Amino acid sequence: MEEFLQPLLNGQQWINGLSQGAVYALFALGFTLVFGILGLINLAHGANYMWGAYIGWVLVTSTGMPALVALPLAMVASGLMAVLLERLAFRPLRALSRGSSVLWVGFIILLIAFVMGGPRAARLAVGAVGILVMLFGMVLDARGYGPVHERDVPHLSPMISSLGASAILVFLAQAQFGAEQQRYPFGPLQSTRFQLGEAASISLVQLLILLSALVLVVGLHLLIQRSRVGRAIRSISWSERTARLLGVDVDAVVARTFFVSGALAGAAGVLIGLLTNAIRPDMGVGIAILGLTAIVVGGMGSIIGAIVGGLIIGLLQTFSVAFISSEFRDAIVFALLLLVLFFRPSGIFGRSSATRA
Amino acid sequence: MIRLMYRLILVLIITALLASCGAPTAEPDTTGTTESPATEAGTTPETTEATPDAAATPEVGVTPETTEATPDAEAAPDAGAGAADLSGEIPVGFVFSLTGGAALYGTSQRNAVEMAVEEINESGMLGDATIRAFIEDDAGRPETATTVFETLINQNNVVAIIGPTLSNAALSADPIAQEAGVPVVAVSNTAAGITEIGDYIFRVSLPESMVIPNTVEVTKEELGYDRVAIMYANDDAFSRSGYEVFRQALQDQGVEIATEQTFSTNDTDFSPQLTQIRNIDPAPEALIVSALAQPAAGILTQASQLGLDLPVIGGNGFNSPQLSELAGEAADGVIAGAAWIVTNTNPRNREFVEAYNERYGNNPDQFAAQAYAGTYILAQAIANAGSAERDAIRDALDQIENLDTVLGNFSFENREPQHTPVVQQLQDGQFQVFP
Repeated sequence: MEEFLQPLLNGQQWINGLSQGAVYALFALGFTLVFGILGLINLAHGANYMWGAYIGWVLVTSTGMPALVALPLAMVASGLMAVLLERLAFRPLRALSRGSSVLWVGFIILLIAFVMGGPRAARLAVGAVGILVMLFGMVLDARGYGPVHERDVPHLSPMISSLGASAILVFLAQAQFGAEQQRYPFGPLQSTRFQLGEAASISLVQLLILLSALVLVVGLHLLIQRSRVGRAIRSISWSERTARLLGVDVDAVVARTFFVSGALAGAAGVLIGLLTNAIRPDMGVGIAILGLTAIVVGGMGSIIGAIVGGLIIGLLQTFSVAFISSEFRDAIVFALLLLVLFFRPSGIFGRSSATRA
Repeated sequence: MIRLMYRLILVLIITALLASCGAPTAEPDTTGTTESPATEAGTTPETTEATPDAAATPEVGVTPETTEATPDAEAAPDAGAGAADLSGEIPVGFVFSLTGGAALYGTSQRNAVEMAVEEINESGMLGDATIRAFIEDDAGRPETATTVFETLINQNNVVAIIGPTLSNAALSADPIAQEAGVPVVAVSNTAAGITEIGDYIFRVSLPESMVIPNTVEVTKEELGYDRVAIMYANDDAFSRSGYEVFRQALQDQGVEIATEQTFSTNDTDFSPQLTQIRNIDPAPEALIVSALAQPAAGILTQASQLGLDLPVIGGNGFNSPQLSELAGEAADGVIAGAAWIVTNTNPRNREFVEAYNERYGNNPDQFAAQAYAGTYILAQAIANAGSAERDAIRDALDQIENLDTVLGNFSFENREPQHTPVVQQLQDGQFQVFP
């Protein structure tokens, strides 16, 4: 019996599972935030996570800054990227303004700059034009220039639109960084280990992951529960129409939510890049499915649910490898999903739709 | 503008293809070599009578007097008995993947054979005759390879074909040559079932089933292990078949397998498996990994992060520059078997590496070496046959024995290659002969 339970008694496997799970939790938090406010799944979240990892990687390899400094910078950059994504893929489906049309034209010019051949200077020039046009579009939007056409699109459309955005982001990463795997330079983060007892040790990366997950989760909790933006987010997730009537600037709040969501995805990307030394353009696909599972298990839209769901999946993956074999790992994770849905269709911390928020 | 559109469409198609392929596969011949190695492969090192490369394998390196083909005269081996009867141009087909996903391999094969054909024609190895090379591209696609084979056989009337680059293409195209009675010399196919296509199909490239038992034997001798842990990717045919050969070879040599841990090729977290291996009591003395370069690099770095300090031994998946790029210092000291190594000090090989370097400005890889050796083996068979008849060449190929090539002392046995593989160790990012 003790022989069989050996992996459970092994502190190392708990550390392995918790650090993996903490990354899933950070990722799932971004998912659940957007779901809570817009009631939709942002399938480009995985691509955002991948870009976060690449941005951190570029910062570390090109400027030689320590990963700890690159982490917050990459979070800000991928947060901004999420805001842009919302402008391009989600907002035009809610309401079409002249500004977002201009924004789209600018974005297409930027894409052309990526794909076109010719001298570097010409490409940079075209790219700069694209960015200027995009900025102009944002200014138009901010000044409320031109009529806004409210739209009522089918519920699935924003999800498909985010899927398209995700494909474009993956393509851009492939064009920019190549399809092959990259890694962060090795440093003290990976090589420093702290011995915990006889059989377990924790590396500095794992410690960093657990600590930053804790800090970010507490910060997010304070943001949602104590700040003005948090109150606005909660009011919108209760009822968008009511919030609008009460004078909440829904578009601004949605943009901020996307920023926070993208920043969390970026943090997860940098941390996993440091932990596994594997950054690939397709790295967002697998974690998107796991993150989705985490929020369904934890309860859609629930913050504590996303954290618990992410940790459960990380631990479950680790222990199914330790107890059985990697062949069954995904099967076991999804068996849990089915089991939870069977007993609690709205997830562990989920509320039925009647009493949401 | 049209060019731009074309580029955009091309990129989109490539992206779609990449997405549908899933994992980027590094090795060209990842179709399994699942045949049991116990019979043919287990005996390889013993049957090789002469190893001109004493440094690589000292324990089998006794060169018996029987080998007359000492590396004396220039690059050219002795002209066959019938070479004087030859005259004119002898058409030979070469089919490589010069475009498409395997273009990297096909290009170095083409470089090597162009050099070999030129050398052969200048050396007078074929008497008055010269080889006329028809080098064709199959784009890595079986259907293109089939068309190219038909054109070479029926229009160019080639006497023999070298290639194609990929096993999948060979499995489709070789039957056409077999049907037409045209000898084929495979120089990079390592999948099972290639020579089984028929008696006109020969192979120069050692399959993993022959490389791995040698790796196990040499490393066991040198490192003295009796108990090992195995990790392999169970969703990838190449890694899986490598694992099966490893397991068989370990059993044959009386090595105990302490644990077998699996993962998927796209995995990035290997810490649960490595933790299990670390906690085994009594501890294993070596870690065997059958995987492509990307997951292998992840295993190496995470093993060192976990403080798992075991010698790591791998298969052909390790023979990629990606391994040391991705794993950095963690890859130092890993051991892998291969058919050929660039630093081999065999004089025949040194000449080849120097000439290749001079001509192309970079070192040849294993694909170049095997294609180069294959061209010389075919030329020797033509010279020995003293005829440009397809059947006579086939019979002469079958008789090739103890031929001095860049791969070492080479023989065909049942149309399969016989030569001593090498064991190599990564030191400062470069593979060196082990031990």
